[in-house]
Amino acid sequence: MLFERKPRAVPLQLPDAPQVQETPTFLPTTPKVDTPMPESNMRTPSAPAIENKTVLGRSVVVSGELSGAEDLLIEGQLEGTIRLQEHTLTVGQPGQVKAEVNARQVVVLGTVLGNITARERIEIRKTGHVVGDLVSAGVAIEEGAYFKGSIDILREEERKATPAQPAAAVLAARE
Amino acid sequence: MDKTIRAVPYARLPAHDSLLPTITGRESPAKAAEASGNLSRGLEWLWQYLRDIPHPRILDCGPIRQSTVSILMHRGVKLYVADLLTPLQSEAAQLWDRSQKTPQFRLEAFLEQVPPIPPASLTAVFGWQVPDLAPRAVLPGFMARIISYLEPGGVFFCLLHEPHLPEGAGTTWWLESLTTLGSRCDANRPFPYPPITNREMERLNPGGSVKTFLTRSGLREVLALK
Repeated sequence: MLFERKPRAVPLQLPDAPQVQETPTFLPTTPKVDTPMPESNMRTPSAPAIENKTVLGRSVVVSGELSGAEDLLIEGQLEGTIRLQEHTLTVGQPGQVKAEVNARQVVVLGTVLGNITARERIEIRKTGHVVGDLVSAGVAIEEGAYFKGSIDILREEERKATPAQPAAAVLAARE
Repeated sequence: MDKTIRAVPYARLPAHDSLLPTITGRESPAKAAEASGNLSRGLEWLWQYLRDIPHPRILDCGPIRQSTVSILMHRGVKLYVADLLTPLQSEAAQLWDRSQKTPQFRLEAFLEQVPPIPPASLTAVFGWQVPDLAPRAVLPGFMARIISYLEPGGVFFCLLHEPHLPEGAGTTWWLESLTTLGSRCDANRPFPYPPITNREMERLNPGGSVKTFLTRSGLREVLALK
Protein backbone atom coordinates (compact mmCIF):
# COMPACT_ATOMS: atom_id res chain seq x y z
CA MET A 1 0.00 0.00 0.00
CA LEU A 2 1.23 3.35 -0.97
CA PHE A 3 -0.45 5.20 1.83
CA GLU A 4 -0.62 3.16 4.92
CA ARG A 5 -2.86 4.62 7.51
CA LYS A 6 -1.12 4.90 10.78
CA PRO A 7 -3.15 3.98 13.78
CA ARG A 8 -4.44 7.10 15.53
CA ALA A 9 -2.77 7.69 18.79
CA VAL A 10 -5.30 7.34 21.53
CA PRO A 11 -4.78 9.69 24.42
CA LEU A 12 -3.80 7.86 27.50
CA GLN A 13 -6.62 7.91 29.95
CA LEU A 14 -5.48 8.72 33.41
CA PRO A 15 -8.61 8.76 35.50
CA ASP A 16 -6.84 10.00 38.56
CA ALA A 17 -4.83 12.71 36.83
CA PRO A 18 -5.58 16.21 38.13
CA GLN A 19 -7.25 18.66 35.77
CA VAL A 20 -4.94 21.31 34.37
CA GLN A 21 -6.41 24.80 34.28
CA GLU A 22 -5.72 26.88 31.22
CA THR A 23 -3.78 30.00 31.97
CA PRO A 24 -5.14 33.16 30.39
CA THR A 25 -3.08 34.44 27.48
CA PHE A 26 -3.74 38.10 28.16
CA LEU A 27 -1.91 40.15 30.72
CA PRO A 28 -3.80 41.95 33.44
CA THR A 29 -4.38 45.57 32.57
CA THR A 30 -2.19 48.02 34.38
CA PRO A 31 -3.88 50.80 36.30
CA LYS A 32 -4.05 54.10 34.48
CA VAL A 33 -1.73 56.72 35.90
CA ASP A 34 -2.24 60.36 35.04
CA THR A 35 0.87 61.73 36.69
CA PRO A 36 3.74 62.64 34.37
CA MET A 37 6.08 59.76 33.68
CA PRO A 38 9.60 60.15 35.08
CA GLU A 39 12.22 60.90 32.43
CA SER A 40 14.08 57.73 33.27
CA ASN A 41 11.03 55.63 32.47
CA MET A 42 10.47 57.08 29.04
CA ARG A 43 10.89 54.65 26.19
CA THR A 44 13.10 55.89 23.40
CA PRO A 45 12.46 53.72 20.38
CA SER A 46 12.16 55.40 17.01
CA ALA A 47 8.82 53.68 16.57
CA PRO A 48 6.84 52.21 19.44
CA ALA A 49 5.04 48.87 19.11
CA ILE A 50 2.58 48.96 16.22
CA GLU A 51 0.08 46.41 17.49
CA ASN A 52 -3.51 47.54 16.78
CA LYS A 53 -2.19 50.68 15.23
CA THR A 54 -2.50 52.20 11.79
CA VAL A 55 0.82 53.28 10.36
CA LEU A 56 1.37 56.05 7.86
CA GLY A 57 4.71 55.02 6.42
CA ARG A 58 7.67 57.21 5.63
CA SER A 59 6.76 57.68 1.98
CA VAL A 60 3.15 58.62 2.69
CA VAL A 61 2.10 62.24 2.31
CA VAL A 62 -1.42 63.13 3.46
CA SER A 63 -3.25 66.41 3.25
CA GLY A 64 -6.67 66.97 4.79
CA GLU A 65 -8.73 65.89 7.76
CA LEU A 66 -7.92 62.57 9.36
CA SER A 67 -10.13 60.97 12.00
CA GLY A 68 -10.33 57.44 13.30
CA ALA A 69 -11.16 55.01 16.05
CA GLU A 70 -7.79 53.34 16.46
CA ASP A 71 -4.27 54.35 17.37
CA LEU A 72 -2.18 55.98 14.68
CA LEU A 73 1.56 56.10 14.05
CA ILE A 74 2.76 58.72 11.58
CA GLU A 75 6.19 58.23 10.06
CA GLY A 76 5.43 60.21 6.92
CA GLN A 77 4.05 63.70 6.37
CA LEU A 78 0.61 64.99 7.21
CA GLU A 79 -0.91 68.42 6.84
CA GLY A 80 -4.41 69.32 8.01
CA THR A 81 -6.37 68.11 11.02
CA ILE A 82 -6.16 64.94 13.12
CA ARG A 83 -8.98 63.74 15.37
CA LEU A 84 -8.51 60.57 17.40
CA GLN A 85 -10.72 61.40 20.35
CA GLU A 86 -10.38 58.04 22.09
CA HIS A 87 -6.99 56.94 20.81
CA THR A 88 -3.28 57.61 20.76
CA LEU A 89 -1.39 59.49 18.08
CA THR A 90 2.34 58.79 17.83
CA VAL A 91 4.48 60.91 15.57
CA GLY A 92 7.54 58.78 14.85
CA GLN A 93 11.02 60.20 14.55
CA PRO A 94 10.84 60.72 10.77
CA GLY A 95 7.25 61.95 10.98
CA GLN A 96 6.36 65.53 10.10
CA VAL A 97 2.94 66.82 11.05
CA LYS A 98 1.57 70.26 10.35
CA ALA A 99 -1.87 70.04 11.88
CA GLU A 100 -4.29 70.74 14.65
CA VAL A 101 -4.24 67.56 16.69
CA ASN A 102 -7.00 66.32 18.99
CA ALA A 103 -6.51 62.92 20.60
CA ARG A 104 -6.72 61.05 23.86
CA GLN A 105 -2.94 60.80 24.08
CA VAL A 106 -0.14 62.17 21.88
CA VAL A 107 3.48 61.04 21.76
CA VAL A 108 5.94 63.06 19.67
CA LEU A 109 9.31 61.77 18.55
CA GLY A 110 9.32 63.72 15.28
CA THR A 111 8.11 67.18 14.31
CA VAL A 112 4.73 68.75 14.97
CA LEU A 113 3.81 72.26 13.93
CA GLY A 114 0.37 73.05 15.32
CA ASN A 115 -1.69 73.00 18.45
CA ILE A 116 -2.11 69.71 20.30
CA THR A 117 -5.05 68.92 22.55
CA ALA A 118 -4.95 65.61 24.40
CA ARG A 119 -7.52 64.64 26.99
CA GLU A 120 -5.08 62.49 28.96
CA ARG A 121 -1.47 63.18 28.13
CA ILE A 122 1.11 64.68 25.79
CA GLU A 123 4.67 63.37 25.67
CA ILE A 124 7.50 65.04 23.77
CA ARG A 125 10.51 62.75 23.60
CA LYS A 126 14.08 64.01 23.30
CA THR A 127 14.04 63.82 19.50
CA GLY A 128 10.71 65.65 19.39
CA HIS A 129 10.29 69.13 17.95
CA VAL A 130 7.00 70.87 18.68
CA VAL A 131 5.90 74.40 17.86
CA GLY A 132 2.39 75.10 19.05
CA ASP A 133 0.15 75.25 22.07
CA LEU A 134 -0.39 72.18 24.24
CA VAL A 135 -3.57 71.52 26.21
CA SER A 136 -3.74 68.34 28.25
CA ALA A 137 -4.27 66.86 31.69
CA GLY A 138 -0.61 65.78 31.75
CA VAL A 139 2.46 66.94 29.85
CA ALA A 140 5.84 65.19 29.85
CA ILE A 141 8.78 66.73 28.02
CA GLU A 142 12.05 64.88 27.88
CA GLU A 143 15.29 66.79 28.24
CA GLY A 144 16.69 67.68 24.84
CA ALA A 145 13.29 68.08 23.19
CA TYR A 146 12.54 71.36 21.43
CA PHE A 147 9.33 73.12 22.31
CA LYS A 148 8.09 76.58 21.55
CA GLY A 149 4.59 77.54 22.56
CA SER A 150 2.34 77.43 25.57
CA ILE A 151 1.25 74.67 27.93
CA ASP A 152 -2.14 74.76 29.57
CA ILE A 153 -3.40 72.13 31.92
CA LEU A 154 -6.81 70.57 31.35
CA ARG A 155 -8.36 70.27 34.78
CA GLU A 156 -10.22 67.19 35.95
CA GLU A 157 -13.58 68.92 36.24
CA GLU A 158 -13.26 70.24 32.69
CA ARG A 159 -12.42 66.79 31.36
CA LYS A 160 -15.47 65.30 33.01
CA ALA A 161 -17.88 68.15 32.31
CA THR A 162 -17.48 68.21 28.56
CA PRO A 163 -16.02 64.95 27.27
CA ALA A 164 -17.13 65.47 23.68
CA GLN A 165 -15.95 69.05 23.44
CA PRO A 166 -12.42 69.78 22.22
CA ALA A 167 -10.30 70.83 25.15
CA ALA A 168 -9.18 73.98 23.38
CA ALA A 169 -12.81 75.11 23.27
CA VAL A 170 -13.08 74.48 27.00
CA LEU A 171 -10.06 76.65 27.60
CA ALA A 172 -11.42 79.37 25.37
CA ALA A 173 -14.61 79.32 27.40
CA ARG A 174 -12.55 79.51 30.60
CA GLU A 175 -10.94 82.73 29.41
CA MET B 1 9.49 103.65 43.29
CA ASP B 2 9.90 100.63 45.48
CA LYS B 3 13.54 99.69 45.71
CA THR B 4 14.58 97.00 48.09
CA ILE B 5 18.01 95.57 48.48
CA ARG B 6 18.27 92.85 51.06
CA ALA B 7 21.38 90.99 51.99
CA VAL B 8 20.27 87.54 52.99
CA PRO B 9 22.28 86.18 55.93
CA TYR B 10 24.71 83.48 54.99
CA ALA B 11 23.37 81.06 57.57
CA ARG B 12 19.90 81.24 56.06
CA LEU B 13 21.10 80.21 52.62
CA PRO B 14 22.97 76.95 53.01
CA ALA B 15 21.82 75.72 49.65
CA HIS B 16 23.11 78.75 47.75
CA ASP B 17 26.52 78.16 49.23
CA SER B 18 26.58 74.81 47.50
CA LEU B 19 26.52 76.66 44.21
CA LEU B 20 29.89 78.25 44.84
CA PRO B 21 32.04 75.44 43.44
CA THR B 22 29.90 75.32 40.31
CA ILE B 23 29.88 78.98 39.58
CA THR B 24 33.40 79.92 40.50
CA GLY B 25 34.90 77.09 38.54
CA ARG B 26 36.52 75.18 41.36
CA GLU B 27 35.23 71.93 39.89
CA SER B 28 36.49 70.25 36.79
CA PRO B 29 35.14 72.19 33.81
CA ALA B 30 34.83 69.03 31.76
CA LYS B 31 32.19 67.61 34.05
CA ALA B 32 28.70 69.09 34.03
CA ALA B 33 28.01 70.06 37.62
CA GLU B 34 24.49 70.00 38.94
CA ALA B 35 23.34 71.68 42.09
CA SER B 36 19.93 71.29 43.59
CA GLY B 37 17.74 72.61 46.32
CA ASN B 38 18.96 76.19 46.19
CA LEU B 39 16.47 78.22 48.12
CA SER B 40 15.55 81.41 46.26
CA ARG B 41 14.45 84.41 48.27
CA GLY B 42 13.43 86.10 45.06
CA LEU B 43 11.07 83.28 44.15
CA GLU B 44 9.72 83.20 47.70
CA TRP B 45 8.86 86.86 47.31
CA LEU B 46 7.38 86.28 43.85
CA TRP B 47 5.00 83.49 44.90
CA GLN B 48 3.94 85.44 47.94
CA TYR B 49 3.25 88.38 45.61
CA LEU B 50 1.20 86.11 43.29
CA ARG B 51 -0.61 84.25 46.08
CA ASP B 52 -4.05 85.57 45.12
CA ILE B 53 -3.71 84.75 41.44
CA PRO B 54 -5.02 81.20 40.85
CA HIS B 55 -3.84 80.86 37.28
CA PRO B 56 -0.81 83.04 36.54
CA ARG B 57 0.58 83.28 33.02
CA ILE B 58 4.32 82.80 32.95
CA LEU B 59 6.96 82.87 30.23
CA ASP B 60 10.01 80.66 30.84
CA CYS B 61 13.05 81.89 28.88
CA GLY B 62 15.24 78.89 29.70
CA PRO B 63 15.55 75.44 28.15
CA ILE B 64 12.47 73.41 28.97
CA ARG B 65 12.74 71.04 31.90
CA GLN B 66 10.15 68.55 33.08
CA SER B 67 10.41 69.54 36.74
CA THR B 68 9.71 73.19 35.91
CA VAL B 69 6.73 72.21 33.79
CA SER B 70 5.29 69.88 36.45
CA ILE B 71 5.70 72.36 39.29
CA LEU B 72 4.16 75.24 37.39
CA MET B 73 1.31 73.07 36.07
CA HIS B 74 0.58 71.97 39.61
CA ARG B 75 0.42 75.64 40.63
CA GLY B 76 -2.17 76.22 37.90
CA VAL B 77 0.12 78.24 35.64
CA LYS B 78 -0.42 78.74 31.94
CA LEU B 79 3.16 78.37 30.80
CA TYR B 80 4.75 79.89 27.71
CA VAL B 81 8.10 78.46 26.69
CA ALA B 82 10.76 80.26 24.68
CA ASP B 83 14.32 79.06 25.07
CA LEU B 84 16.24 82.31 24.70
CA LEU B 85 19.12 81.17 26.88
CA THR B 86 20.52 78.35 24.73
CA PRO B 87 21.11 80.48 21.59
CA LEU B 88 23.00 83.02 23.71
CA GLN B 89 25.05 80.37 25.49
CA SER B 90 25.90 78.62 22.23
CA GLU B 91 26.66 81.95 20.51
CA ALA B 92 24.42 80.93 17.61
CA ALA B 93 25.93 82.28 14.39
CA GLN B 94 22.59 83.07 12.80
CA LEU B 95 21.95 85.67 15.49
CA TRP B 96 24.81 87.83 14.27
CA ASP B 97 24.99 89.91 11.13
CA ARG B 98 28.68 89.92 10.23
CA SER B 99 28.32 91.70 6.91
CA GLN B 100 29.29 94.98 8.48
CA LYS B 101 32.55 96.01 10.04
CA THR B 102 31.12 95.59 13.52
CA PRO B 103 28.95 92.47 13.99
CA GLN B 104 25.35 93.37 14.75
CA PHE B 105 23.12 91.23 16.94
CA ARG B 106 19.84 90.34 15.22
CA LEU B 107 17.38 91.11 17.96
CA GLU B 108 14.30 90.35 15.86
CA ALA B 109 15.64 86.93 14.87
CA PHE B 110 16.42 86.30 18.53
CA LEU B 111 12.91 87.26 19.62
CA GLU B 112 11.36 84.96 17.01
CA GLN B 113 11.89 82.23 19.60
CA VAL B 114 9.10 83.78 21.65
CA PRO B 115 5.68 82.27 20.84
CA PRO B 116 2.73 84.56 20.13
CA ILE B 117 1.82 86.24 23.42
CA PRO B 118 -0.87 88.92 23.75
CA PRO B 119 0.59 92.23 24.96
CA ALA B 120 0.21 93.04 28.66
CA SER B 121 -1.00 89.51 29.43
CA LEU B 122 1.79 87.85 31.40
CA THR B 123 1.93 87.67 35.18
CA ALA B 124 5.65 86.90 35.27
CA VAL B 125 8.67 86.12 33.12
CA PHE B 126 11.52 83.85 34.22
CA GLY B 127 14.42 85.48 32.42
CA TRP B 128 17.17 83.54 34.23
CA GLN B 129 20.52 84.85 32.92
CA VAL B 130 19.31 86.12 29.57
CA PRO B 131 19.92 89.84 30.36
CA ASP B 132 23.46 89.00 31.51
CA LEU B 133 24.28 87.22 28.25
CA ALA B 134 22.48 89.52 25.81
CA PRO B 135 24.66 92.06 24.01
CA ARG B 136 24.43 95.37 25.82
CA ALA B 137 23.50 97.26 22.66
CA VAL B 138 20.24 95.32 22.28
CA LEU B 139 19.39 95.02 25.96
CA PRO B 140 17.02 98.03 26.02
CA GLY B 141 15.13 96.65 23.02
CA PHE B 142 15.00 93.18 24.50
CA MET B 143 13.76 94.40 27.88
CA ALA B 144 11.20 96.70 26.26
CA ARG B 145 9.75 93.77 24.32
CA ILE B 146 9.66 91.44 27.31
CA ILE B 147 8.14 94.06 29.59
CA SER B 148 5.50 94.79 26.95
CA TYR B 149 4.24 91.23 27.50
CA LEU B 150 3.78 91.87 31.23
CA GLU B 151 0.49 93.04 32.60
CA PRO B 152 0.61 96.03 34.98
CA GLY B 153 2.18 94.72 38.18
CA GLY B 154 3.77 91.82 36.29
CA VAL B 155 7.24 90.67 37.33
CA PHE B 156 10.41 89.98 35.34
CA PHE B 157 12.65 87.63 37.36
CA CYS B 158 16.32 87.25 36.46
CA LEU B 159 19.72 86.32 37.87
CA LEU B 160 22.53 88.85 37.40
CA HIS B 161 26.17 88.27 38.20
CA GLU B 162 28.22 90.40 40.55
CA PRO B 163 31.54 91.96 39.46
CA HIS B 164 33.54 89.47 41.50
CA LEU B 165 32.00 86.47 39.73
CA PRO B 166 34.13 85.78 36.65
CA GLU B 167 32.46 82.63 35.32
CA GLY B 168 29.06 81.03 35.14
CA ALA B 169 27.75 81.99 31.69
CA GLY B 170 27.17 78.31 30.88
CA THR B 171 24.78 77.69 33.74
CA THR B 172 21.17 76.73 33.16
CA TRP B 173 18.47 76.95 35.80
CA TRP B 174 15.18 75.26 36.55
CA LEU B 175 12.61 74.97 39.30
CA GLU B 176 12.85 72.12 41.77
CA SER B 177 9.96 73.53 43.73
CA LEU B 178 8.22 76.86 43.56
CA THR B 179 10.96 78.38 45.71
CA THR B 180 14.03 76.25 45.09
CA LEU B 181 16.29 76.22 42.07
CA GLY B 182 18.30 73.54 40.39
CA SER B 183 21.25 74.46 38.21
CA ARG B 184 23.65 72.81 35.84
CA CYS B 185 26.95 74.17 34.62
CA ASP B 186 28.08 72.51 31.40
CA ALA B 187 31.08 74.77 30.87
CA ASN B 188 32.75 77.32 33.09
CA ARG B 189 32.63 80.13 30.60
CA PRO B 190 33.29 83.74 31.56
CA PHE B 191 30.49 86.26 31.37
CA PRO B 192 30.79 88.06 28.04
CA TYR B 193 29.71 91.47 29.31
CA PRO B 194 30.22 93.49 32.47
CA PRO B 195 27.63 93.16 35.24
CA ILE B 196 24.33 94.98 34.94
CA THR B 197 23.92 97.32 37.88
CA ASN B 198 20.68 97.84 39.74
CA ARG B 199 20.57 101.40 38.41
CA GLU B 200 20.76 100.04 34.85
CA MET B 201 17.93 97.63 35.61
CA GLU B 202 15.82 100.56 36.78
CA ARG B 203 16.55 102.39 33.53
CA LEU B 204 15.60 99.26 31.56
CA ASN B 205 12.27 99.16 33.38
CA PRO B 206 11.09 102.77 33.14
CA GLY B 207 8.02 103.50 35.22
CA GLY B 208 8.41 100.32 37.18
CA SER B 209 10.38 99.27 40.21
CA VAL B 210 13.18 96.84 40.93
CA LYS B 211 13.69 94.51 43.87
CA THR B 212 17.03 92.86 44.45
CA PHE B 213 17.91 89.93 46.69
CA LEU B 214 21.60 89.47 47.28
CA THR B 215 23.01 85.99 47.72
CA ARG B 216 26.41 84.67 48.66
CA SER B 217 26.72 82.80 45.38
CA GLY B 218 27.79 85.87 43.43
CA LEU B 219 24.43 86.25 41.75
CA ARG B 220 21.70 88.76 42.46
CA GLU B 221 18.09 87.73 42.17
CA VAL B 222 16.41 90.70 40.53
CA LEU B 223 12.68 91.24 40.16
CA ALA B 224 11.59 94.06 37.89
CA LEU B 225 7.96 95.04 38.50
CA LYS B 226 6.08 96.69 35.67
